Amino acid sequence: MKLTTAPEPDGRIGAMLSVEGLTVTFPALGSRVIDDINFTIEKGKTIGLVGESGSGKSMTSLAIMGLLPEGAAVEGSVSYWGEQLLGNPDSAMRRLRGDRIAMIFQDPLSSLNPYFTVGFQIAEAYRTHRGGSRRQARGVAVEAMRQVRIPDAERRVDHYPHQFSGGMRQRVMIAMALVCQPDLIIADEPTTALDVTVQAQILTLMSDLQDSTGAGMLFITHDLAVVSDVADSIVVMQRGKTVEQGTAEAIFSWPESDYTRALLAATPRLDDIVDLPEPLRGTR
Amino acid sequence: MTLLPYLSKRFLASVITLLAVIFLTFAVFFWLTPDPAANICGQTCTPDQIHAIREQLGLNQPFLKQFWAFLAGIFAGRAYGAGATAVQCSAPCIGFSFQSGTNVLTTIISRLPVTISLAAGAAVLWLLVGISGGMISAVKKGTWWDRGAMMVSLGGISLPNYFVALVLQYLLVVKLKLLPFPTLVPFSENPSGWFKAYLMPWIVLALMYAATYARLIRANMLDTMGENFMRTARAKGLAPAPILFRHALRPSLTPVVSLFGVEFATLLGGALITETVFGLSGVGKLAYDAIQSNDQPVIMGVTLVAAFAVIIANLLVDLAYSVLDPRVRVASR
Repeated sequence: MKLTTAPEPDGRIGAMLSVEGLTVTFPALGSRVIDDINFTIEKGKTIGLVGESGSGKSMTSLAIMGLLPEGAAVEGSVSYWGEQLLGNPDSAMRRLRGDRIAMIFQDPLSSLNPYFTVGFQIAEAYRTHRGGSRRQARGVAVEAMRQVRIPDAERRVDHYPHQFSGGMRQRVMIAMALVCQPDLIIADEPTTALDVTVQAQILTLMSDLQDSTGAGMLFITHDLAVVSDVADSIVVMQRGKTVEQGTAEAIFSWPESDYTRALLAATPRLDDIVDLPEPLRGTR
Repeated sequence: MTLLPYLSKRFLASVITLLAVIFLTFAVFFWLTPDPAANICGQTCTPDQIHAIREQLGLNQPFLKQFWAFLAGIFAGRAYGAGATAVQCSAPCIGFSFQSGTNVLTTIISRLPVTISLAAGAAVLWLLVGISGGMISAVKKGTWWDRGAMMVSLGGISLPNYFVALVLQYLLVVKLKLLPFPTLVPFSENPSGWFKAYLMPWIVLALMYAATYARLIRANMLDTMGENFMRTARAKGLAPAPILFRHALRPSLTPVVSLFGVEFATLLGGALITETVFGLSGVGKLAYDAIQSNDQPVIMGVTLVAAFAVIIANLLVDLAYSVLDPRVRVASR
């Protein structure tokens, strides 16, 4: 089902990304890792995809990107501005990946190649889709690093991933994802590997950048507290199925399912800490 | 830590290793070999003559004094004997052959072009075959390509190279008459003759190494392809070629560099079996002949030159590593 062959900048109608009845199975293993997932992402909006590990969050993102592991069978529909992505040949998907739909991963250290400078890796994403000389791409990389507020970007562009702190590395990943100004950013646990204070900085940065670029975002996390700040609506997943789905406000105020309530209860909140007995308060 | 102290430290360590190797080599030959004077003199020899030879070569002196003379010879040159019969040997001196009386170092250097031709040609071949074979195996993991390549490599590792040499000679020279029996011609005189002469020795020598390298590259590539940054590369929209050749191959090759440096250097000490089977008069053949005739200074000389090559190679590999792996580079700074 191909409504438009190429996404037009103007005159787009409907949702940017629409996922309908997405189901992923591994026939050889007889397992169903995602079962009938539905959501849409509008431009400038953020969907939080929440669930414990193994609930199928990451599989959902890989299915959208066309990066599922070998042996996976996928059903349903994923359409991007009306263009059906499921079953698209890899060459067509490559044009979208990193250009229109970009990803940010959990562990920025292992997600960056240790053998190349961060500047090269950011520029590589740009040159793959836009071409241009090395020098020009380097300038773009420096600009992208400034945009994610990496200090001294002009010098840092030639450094290797291990020379950065965890938070700065994640900024590099974000710069790499944003360098082609994508419509949609898939962030797979982007703050999980980071310290709490750094987490807050990265979340602020991400929502600032989203405001200025107008990109849509699929924010995947196990931590409901994290999405409470960023998501417009939330999909709660458990064992591949949707448990609950709605606006962020609704989910937080009136959680319907026991699972969502359990997830909410598992999140330490400031008022819980205040209620703790005296000795425990100090250890927190 | 800047690069310079690191370098001088590595250099100092290399010098100490070299001295230790010289000492060990000398000690082994001092205590473990039969009396060189009797050996030089031959079978119809009187004790007086043997004594005179000992006197002339300084063999009757205590161990440390002899070792000191040997060491001095290497770094400053020395004279054998005294007075009118004295023979001057300039540094670096490792002595004279008992058999031919020629300067050992000069002899080894004259044999080096053959050994270098053999080692360099084989190295090009084994790197090409090993790396591409390992890559194909890794990319096509579990297919017949992979199984086939790994079976061939198992064969390459387990077949003794004298056997491979004989089979190749029989097939290519005797049966199919594709190649002449190798006769050595210098590259400068007849490049195609040079190439034909070395082709079989290259294949024989390269086969074993290529097999090991293919397995190593395959394992490294498979490790690398499971890394998170490969997923990032795909998510960026990179085509398969840059993903493979840039993001997967580079990390997989770096550990191979250290192995290659040392193995290549070891070959400069002579590929004994291959040279002997093909009658190539390189350093390996020299060592073989010297062992046959118990020509102690030559055996010692080859041992020292080989050790020297390996030590130098180790130093170069360390330097190369600090250039190739950015993490090492920064840590050493």
